[in-house]
Amino acid sequence: MNDLSDVPANAGSMRHHLTTRRGFIATASFGAVSLYALWAAFDAAPFNIVGLHDSNVPGGGHGGAKETAADSMAGHGGHGAANAGAASEEFRRMTEDFVARHRLPDGSVRAPRNELALSETMPAAHDMHASHGTMPMEAMSGTPVDVYLMAQQWSYEPAVLRLDAEVPYRFRMMATDASHGAALQLGRGSQIIRLRRGILTDRELTFRRPGEYLVYCTVYCGVGHDRMTGKIIVS
Amino acid sequence: MTTTRQSLAALLRDLPAAHRALLTTLVVSALVTLGYGVLFGALTAFVRAGFFELHPETGYRFMTLHGVTIFFYWLYFGQATMLLALAAAEGGAIRGIKLAPAAWLGTLLMLLGFTANQIGAWTGPPLLYDASPEVAGEERVAAGMSYVGYLLLAAGLFLVAASAIATALAAKAAANPRVWSTIGFGVVTWAGLLMVSSVAAVNAFLPSALWAYGLADMPTDPSTGWHLLFHNLHYLPLMGTVLIWYALIREMTGVKSIFGSRFSKIVFASYLIFVPPTSLYHMFLEPGLAPLVRVLGSLLSLFISVPTVAVFLVIVVSLEASMRARGSRGLFAWMRALPWRTPEMAAIGAAVVNLGLGGSLAFVLIQERLATLLSDTFFVPAYFHFLTVGTVSLTLLAGLMRITPALTGALRAPRLLALMPVVVTVGLVLFGFAGIFAGISGMPRRVLDASYDGAAPANWLMLSQIVGVGAILMAAGLLIHVAILLAGIALPVRRTVPSRSPAVLATPDGAAFRQAAWTGPLSVVLLVAAMYAITIVAFSLMQALPVVASAGGH
Repeated sequence: MNDLSDVPANAGSMRHHLTTRRGFIATASFGAVSLYALWAAFDAAPFNIVGLHDSNVPGGGHGGAKETAADSMAGHGGHGAANAGAASEEFRRMTEDFVARHRLPDGSVRAPRNELALSETMPAAHDMHASHGTMPMEAMSGTPVDVYLMAQQWSYEPAVLRLDAEVPYRFRMMATDASHGAALQLGRGSQIIRLRRGILTDRELTFRRPGEYLVYCTVYCGVGHDRMTGKIIVS
Repeated sequence: MTTTRQSLAALLRDLPAAHRALLTTLVVSALVTLGYGVLFGALTAFVRAGFFELHPETGYRFMTLHGVTIFFYWLYFGQATMLLALAAAEGGAIRGIKLAPAAWLGTLLMLLGFTANQIGAWTGPPLLYDASPEVAGEERVAAGMSYVGYLLLAAGLFLVAASAIATALAAKAAANPRVWSTIGFGVVTWAGLLMVSSVAAVNAFLPSALWAYGLADMPTDPSTGWHLLFHNLHYLPLMGTVLIWYALIREMTGVKSIFGSRFSKIVFASYLIFVPPTSLYHMFLEPGLAPLVRVLGSLLSLFISVPTVAVFLVIVVSLEASMRARGSRGLFAWMRALPWRTPEMAAIGAAVVNLGLGGSLAFVLIQERLATLLSDTFFVPAYFHFLTVGTVSLTLLAGLMRITPALTGALRAPRLLALMPVVVTVGLVLFGFAGIFAGISGMPRRVLDASYDGAAPANWLMLSQIVGVGAILMAAGLLIHVAILLAGIALPVRRTVPSRSPAVLATPDGAAFRQAAWTGPLSVVLLVAAMYAITIVAFSLMQALPVVASAGGH
C-alpha cells in the first residue's frame, strides 16, 4: 500500500481554509476537555481552577454522601487475606452485637437515637481509629449515628433497618466473604456502593424523605447474587 | 499527481499460500468466536427480559460465556487478524509475514486459550469474565482453567503482535526511501498496545492461576489488576478501529489524509499518551482509593477522547475537502457520493454514528462524583455496547469483509451485508437507550433477574424487555455477517479481485486545502453538546435524590 507521500511540497504556500489547518484539527480534538468548566459549575471539578461553586450540590460530592474507606480493621494496614479474614470476623462480631441490641420483635433493626448511639458506639469507634485520639462527648454531639451493615453471600445483616428521616447516619459496612455491593434504590436514581472483602467502608447518609428503600448487591458474587437484598425503612 | 496502488485484497492474494492460510485461520477463529459469543449474549438478554427462565447457575454460565468470548476472544482474534493483514499488505514488497512461525504459534496459543476458557466456563463455577477468585471459592481447580486460558491468550496475542511489528519493520527497511508509511507506523503502535494488553492480562490473572493450583495465597486485590486490564480491553481496540477506518476509507474512496503522513503518525502515537493513564476512573467506587488518585482519575479522563476525535476529524475533513475539490456541492452531497452500498463503507458509517452515541454517554462515567449514581449499573453495558459492538465490532467486520475476497475470491451477498449495520444500529439504539434509562434509576448490570421479588421499580422489567428486543436485532445483524463470511470461506466463489484501488486524489493541486469542511468540526460540537446535556441531567438527578450528606464524620 506504500503510502509514502506527504503533503505537497507547495502546501505551505497555499491558502488553507480554517477547517483544513492542522492547528484547527488539533485544537478541536480537545473539545471534550471543555467539560471541565461544566464540572466546575457543579463544584465537581478536580483542582477547581475555574473557581465556580454551586452550593446546591448535596454534600459537595460522592452523590450526596461522604465516603470514607477505613483501613482493614485488623491493624490498619494489613490487606492480606489473613488480615481481611480477621477484619471480617471483628466486623461480624460488632454487627451481631449491634443487631442484638436493637432488634425489634418483627426481626428488623431500629437504629439507635443519637444520644444512645454515642454512648454505645464510642468504644468501638475509638478502637478502630485510635490514632484520632479520645474525643470528649460534648465535641461529638453532632456525630452521626453509627449503623452497621454486613454483606455476605447472599444476604445483608441486618436485613431490614429502620431509620429516621433527617437524621444523619454513618453507615459502617463491610463485605465479609467476597466483594459485594450495597446499593440503595432511591426512586429515580440509586446510590451505588461497592464493598471489598475485609475493608471497612464508611458512608454518611441522611435520608430526607420517609419511605422504603431497596438495598441490593451490584457486584457479582455468585449464583445467589440476584437474591441478595435488604431493606431500609425511613419514617 | 494522481496515483493508484494495489488494493488490499490483491496484496493479500499475492501472499505465500502458508501466510494466506494463517490469515484464513485467524479470520475463521474471529468469526466463530463472534458468533458463539453473540449467541450467549442474546440468551442472557432474553433471560433478563423474562422471555424465558433458566436456573441461575446456567444463566450466569451463559453470561460468562458471552463476556469471555466477546471481550477476550472475538476482540483479540479480530484485532490480531486485521493487524497482521494490514502489516502483510504494507509489506507488499517483501512478500510475506515476518516471524510467521511465531504468528502461527501465537494463533495456536490463542485457540488453546479459548479451549481452556471453555472448559473452565462449562465445568467450573460461573465467574463472569473478570473471574474473581473470591467467587471461585473452593472450586479453584475448575476456575484455574479460566486463568490458564487467559494466560495462553495473552502469550498468543503477544506473539502475533511481535510478528506484525517485525513485518512492518521489514517493510520500512525495504521501502525506498526508508520512511514509515502511515499505516505501517499505525500497525506498530497498535501492536505495541496489544502487547501492553497481554502484559496487563498476565498481571491480572497470573496470581489467580497460581492460587488456583495451590502455588500461592489468594490474591489480595484482584480488582486493581482487573481494572487495568479492562481499560486496555475496551479502549485500546479504538486505536485499531481508527487505523482500519484510515486504511479502508483510502482503499474505497481513493482519498487519503490531506494533513499528511506525519500528522497522522503523531495522532496515532498519541494513543500511547492519552489512553493508558486514563484507567483510574474505573476505580472510583473502590473503597480505600486515595483522594488524589480519585481527583487525578477524573482530570486525566477528560483527555481520553482526544486521539479518537483527532483521527475522526482527519478522516472526515479529508473526505469532505477532497470530495468538494472533486466537485461536490451543498451541505451533504459529498456524503451521498460515498460508496454506501459497499458493505465495508456501510459498516464504517454506522461505526462512526455509534461512536458518537457511545462517546457522548461515556463521559458521564469519568466524573468521579457521578460514579455513585451510575457505576455498576446497566448504564455501563448500555453505553459500551455502542462502542464494543457498534463501533469496534462493525469496524473489525468491515476489515474482515475487505480481506475475505483475498482468501475466497468474492464477498457473498454484499447488498444484504450493506444493510446489516443499519439493523445492528437500530438494535443498539433500543438496547442502549432502554439500558441507559434503566441504569440511571439503578438497575444493576450482571444480574439475571432484576425484579428483586417485586421490590425493584416497575419499569425495570419493561426496560429489560426493550433491551431484549434490541439484543435480538443486534444478534441477528452480527450473526448474518458471520454466516455470510463463513459461507464465503467454506464455499468460495471465484471472481476477479480488483487489483487496483481507486486513484488516490490526496492533494492533486492543493485544491482540497482551500475547501471548507465543516461536517467534522460540527459533529464534534454536537458530541460535546450532548456530553454537556447528559452531564447536566446526571448532576440534576443526583441532586434530586432523597439522600444527602451529613455534617461531621470520620
